[in-house]
Parts: sequence; structure tokens; C-alpha cells
Amino acid sequence: MQIIQAFVDHINFIGAVALFLIGLHTVVTKKNLIKRIMGLNIMGTSIFLFLVAIGNVTGGVPPILQQDPNVNYINPIPSVLILTGIVVVVSMTVYSLSLTIKIYEMYGTINQDELTYLIREEEIHD
Amino acid sequence: MINQLPIINMLIFLATALIIPLLSKRTFKITLIFGFIMLLCVVTSSFFLIFHIAEHGAILYQFGGHDSKIGIEFKVDLMAAIIGLFVVGLTTIIYIYSCGDETEGVEQKEYGRYYILLFIILFAILGIIYTNDLFNAYVFMEIISITTCSIISIKRKKETYAASFRYVMLNEIGSLSYLFGVALIYMVTGYTNIDWVSQSIQSIWQLYSINIIIALGFMIVGIGIKAAIFPFHIWLPDAHASAPSSSSAILSSIIVKVYIVVLIKLLFKVFKLDILNHFHVSTILVIVAATGMIMGSIFAIAQKDIKRMLGYSSISQIGYIVMGIAMFSSLGLASAMFHIISHGLMKAALFLSVGIVIYKKKIKKKNDFEGLAYEMPITMSVFTIAALGMIGIPLTSGFISKLTLGMASLDHRQGYLIIIVVLSGLLNVIYYLPIIISSFLKSEPNTYHPFKIEKVPWPMLTSVILLGIGILTFGIFPNLIMNMITQAAELFGLI
Amino acid sequence: MDDRIVKSITRLVIPFIQLYGIFIILHGHITPGGGFSGGTLIGTSLILYTLVFGLLPSKKKFSHRMSQIAESGGIVIYVGIGLIGLFLSGQFLTNLDAGFPIGEPGELFSAGMIPLLMITIGIKVASTMVSLFHLLIEGDLDADHPGIR
Repeated sequence: MQIIQAFVDHINFIGAVALFLIGLHTVVTKKNLIKRIMGLNIMGTSIFLFLVAIGNVTGGVPPILQQDPNVNYINPIPSVLILTGIVVVVSMTVYSLSLTIKIYEMYGTINQDELTYLIREEEIHD
Repeated sequence: MINQLPIINMLIFLATALIIPLLSKRTFKITLIFGFIMLLCVVTSSFFLIFHIAEHGAILYQFGGHDSKIGIEFKVDLMAAIIGLFVVGLTTIIYIYSCGDETEGVEQKEYGRYYILLFIILFAILGIIYTNDLFNAYVFMEIISITTCSIISIKRKKETYAASFRYVMLNEIGSLSYLFGVALIYMVTGYTNIDWVSQSIQSIWQLYSINIIIALGFMIVGIGIKAAIFPFHIWLPDAHASAPSSSSAILSSIIVKVYIVVLIKLLFKVFKLDILNHFHVSTILVIVAATGMIMGSIFAIAQKDIKRMLGYSSISQIGYIVMGIAMFSSLGLASAMFHIISHGLMKAALFLSVGIVIYKKKIKKKNDFEGLAYEMPITMSVFTIAALGMIGIPLTSGFISKLTLGMASLDHRQGYLIIIVVLSGLLNVIYYLPIIISSFLKSEPNTYHPFKIEKVPWPMLTSVILLGIGILTFGIFPNLIMNMITQAAELFGLI
Repeated sequence: MDDRIVKSITRLVIPFIQLYGIFIILHGHITPGGGFSGGTLIGTSLILYTLVFGLLPSKKKFSHRMSQIAESGGIVIYVGIGLIGLFLSGQFLTNLDAGFPIGEPGELFSAGMIPLLMITIGIKVASTMVSLFHLLIEGDLDADHPGIR
């Protein structure tokens, strides 16, 4: 009972860590290049979820100035960190996707096993 | 006014990177000369910064006048100034080389893009060296990662794309791992500024020891992937095999070292010695570094392509630097910083001279170097000086760094590490010496011609000669920079 | 595309999307959003124009030279505003001490230089999105896909 109570209290953090591991598993084991890019996006999103869960205050309102003097605002600094992080992850995703388009034009496949085979073939003929 | 110099340096590089696309209608030489003048301005201002900081202490710079608890702060101390001058000076020499390289380097219409990327990389490197904020370091780290990946795959050939895809994947895993560590530290302390974080952690780490050890682990793994420390080094040889020579020189001499500077700041300014000794970080780093030194050389012996061989040699030299850091003493840290500078010079000399050989003769395998010294004497002399420096022969700067590393390990009663240093030096002999011997002593039969100066463009020769002179100068007169490096290493407060 | 309903509705809707994007950029210091989200909205409206009307009319409206000027000019203005702070008071990117007018919190004309920085960021993000989309879709033009031409 204690364990289930602790699990439900910290559900945000456990979800963030689980998403990080799912993303890492996708990048490492899948063979399709686009699935690996999606795995990187999942890893990035999990860290943003972690940061939001840190900044939460129970019973708080969004950090926009209100006239009521005794109201709890949630911490605005993690939101700023997440905004910068989102821009970085988006630019990295765009770069990887354009590389994938070029690889498809050159080799005709986006499967990692076939790519390795084709590159070895070229090295042997070189 | 002199307090504004760090930010003015960074803004000069950013402004140059933005003005180059607007100049693209004129001839290209104007762009090259403009870039060179800006690089020289930053070199002189870095000299001023070093002498000013050596007298007056570190410069603290807050952006926008906001207090350091909520704003971004730059702290330029002596180590940052020395590494900053080294980065900008070495980039100037590689810039001179790339002005003359027309065919093996980049194609004519790609030239503008190459230099825009180069100046953005310099802007971000100065930012990551000067900054005093953990999240700001992550932002600059990402800028360096994407622009470096572009500068490697700038030749539009087939094999560059697959190599740079693997590069992006691994580097992004490293960056996201580092960011997870920063998020965990923010959870414990509530700050991201290095000074405030270290002050908070020193008083409360007994309560939150699980958070801190996990954060330390994530951050060391993340920086280790990007700095090509041994088990995470997989991307480095592939990236070298398909890149133009000046990009390879920049990648292996400068960018990898910048992440080691971040590791030094992280270990010795955020988590100070109490926490590190409690979690036995020193033992782990010594084992990792020693394995890297030996395995890097063993992999290098088996390579046929010369650029991949130089890439694996870089991995083993980075093992030296990490071993110097892992001693946790100021003599070890001084030897690590000296090896950062000397390995940068030597590896750049090796890559640039190999680049001249590929430009003139179009060969790539290491068995084809026979008799080359008779046609290209200057290039092969510089290659020989740099290779002897890697092995550790006296009169070169590589010998001084190995000597200091040996003295540091003896100081701390870890004398068994000297055996590993010597063994790694012997392994270096096995793959460098055959190239030198075959180029100087064998010549093609029936063609004995005396030495003649080779006909390659003069910028390429000038840069290689400057690097050779630099290696010999730091080998014969190491006290030019060793005094200042020792002074910088003592500021970290280690024993 | 050749469908008349889609083209007329797009012609009606795009100005409203851009107006909403400009609203989010300008109110970056009062409400959530700011330069990045507003710039994405304006970029998305131009991508919608490309998808409905084809690549060539869209390239006439937003050529490569214009995107070069927008991107370089945006950052140059950002650095210029920061340098005003450097020359007048002391540090780069100073807001209050450099004399930018700070009004009441919650008004539109307040918070010094922050709305100006948001405008430059919005221009740059919109131009980046559109030029990247044009670049990625150029390789797809061939005889099998007459719709996107």
C-alpha cells in the first residue's frame, strides 16, 4: 500500500524516466532511420516533462500577473528552459530528416542493415 | 572597457558569420581577407585578456545587469583565457591552410557556406569556454554539434551522409543525457549557475546522495560521448575518414578538447573533491583512461586508411588527458592542459600534412608513402616532427607532457600508471615509424633525384611550417606557457 | 491543387492566421508565447500557401534572396539592440539601466526592449521555416506529382 501511494504521488517523474528509456531503446535497437529520429524526439520530450514536473506547485496558477495578492504561482523558470530545449530539438530533427532524404536519394534504402551492406560493398570495390 | 572584451570577441565572430552571405556577389578573395583580419583582431584581444587576468583575477560578466541567481553569467578565469587563445590561434593557422586548398577540400561554390559554419563554430566555442551557467553550456554545445556535423559532410559524396547520420545520433544522445543531468541538479538545488550550485551541493549532499550520483553519472557519460573518451568513441574514425582535411584538423584538435574543458569545470567547480572521493570517481576515470590509451593504439595499428589511423590515435591521446585529470592533483591538471595544447598542435600538423599529400598525389592508404620525402621534403619533415612528438622523443612538446604526467602519477603514489604510459608510447611507435622510414629511406629504383621544394599553393606550406616551428618551440622552451598553466591549475584548489 | 473551394477558403483564411501570429508575437511579454510560437504560425501560413497554390507562385512571393536578408537582418538587429545596452550603461542586453522605457506591468507598451527582440525572433523563425520547407520539397518535383508544381 505504501509503495502504491508513493508510485501515484510521483507519477510524473516515473513517467518521464520511462519515456527516456523507451526513447533510448528505440534509437539503439530499431533499424529504420526515421524510427530512430522519432526515438530522439521522445527522449527530448521526456526531459521536458521532467522539468515541468519539477516546477509544479500544488494548487498553483499559471505565472501571469493577477490582481489577487495571495495566490501561488508555479515556477516560471522551467518553462523558459523548456522553450529553448524545444527549439534545439526541432532544429536537430530537421537536420536529421534532410540527411535521411539525401541518404534515400543516394542509396535507395533507409534500413540500417542494408546501408551497412552497401557501404561495405563499395569499400571492397574501391 | 577591458571587461567587455569577452563579449566583443564573440560578437565579432557572429557579425562576421552574418556579413559573409551579404558579400557573396563580389569576388571571393575579399571574404577571405575580411575573415582573416577579424581572426587577427580576436587573437590580439585574447593576448590582452590573458595578461590582464593574470594580474587582476577573473572577470565576472553578468548579462543585462541581472543578478547571478536569475541571470546568465560569464566567468573568464585564467584557464578559460589560455584555452581561448589556443583555440583562436590554431584556427587562424588552419584558416590559412584552407584558403589554398582548392580541390581536396570544398568545391568552389560551397566556399561561402564553409566559412559561415566555421565562424559560428568559433562563436559557440568561445561561449562554452567562458560561460558560468550549466544550461547555457548545453545551448552552446548543441550549436557546436550541428555546425560541426555540417562542416564534416560538406563534400557531397556518398559516404559522408551515412557517417554524419551516425555522428548526429550519437552526439544527440550525449547532449540529451547531459541535459537530464542538469535537470536533476536543478531539482536538488534550484539554481543553474555554477557558483550557487556548488555552494548548495556542498552543504546538503548527504541528504540527496542518490540524485547527485545519478546526475554525475549522466553528465559524465554525456560529455564522454562528445569528447570521444574510450567506450564512447565510435563516431570519431568514421567522421575523419570522409571529411576534408581542414575540417578533420578542426574536429580532432579543437572541438573534442573543448568538451574536456567542460568536464574539468564540471568536476572541479561544481562537484568538489569531497563528493568525488566519496563516490570513487577517480578510480573509475583512471581505469577508463588507461583502457582508452591502450585500446586506441591497438585499433590504430590495424587500419589501412591513414585518416582513420590518425583518428584512432586521437582517441588514445585523449586517454592521456583524461588520466591527467583523473589524478585529482594540480600537477596532473597542469599536465592535462599542456597536453591539450601540444596534442592540438601535433594532430593539426599531422592532418594538414596528410592533406597536402592527398592534394598532390591522391593517395589514401598508409602503405603508399614510399619515397615521398624526395618529392615533398617540407611536408614529410613536418610529419616526422609531429609523429616523433606523438611517440614522445625529447625536443618535442609531446615529451614534456608525458614527463609531467609521469611526475604527477609518481607524486600520488600511483606509479604503476607509468608502465601504461610507456607501453602506450611503444604502441605508438609501431604504427608511426614505418611511415616515416618508408618515406625517407626507400625510393623508387632507377630514379634518384635530389630534394626539391614541392609545388603546392603557398598558404598550405606556410601553415604546416608554422605548426612545425610551434611544436619544436614548445618542446625546447616549455616554460613559455608552463608557468601560466601551473598558475591556472592551482586556482582550482586541488592539492 | 485544382479545387476551387480549397483555393477560395485559403485565400480567406491566410490573413487571419497571420494576424493571430502577429498578435502572439507582440504580446510576448504579457501572455505565453513570444517570438518562437508566433513565428511558427506565420511560417505555417506561408507553407499552407505553398501546398495549395504550388511551389512556383510561392517562390515568387518569398524568394531565396529575401530569406537571406530576413535571416541575417534579424540577428544583426538583435545584436544592435544588445550593443545599445553595452554602450549606454555597461553590460550587453541591458533593459532597464539602458534607458528603455518600462511602463506598467500588464500594458502593451511596457517591458523595455523585449517586444523589439520578439519581433526580430519572429521574423527569423518564419523565414527559416519557409525556406527549409521549400528546400525539402524541391527534390520531389517530377512528372508523377503534377499537383505540387
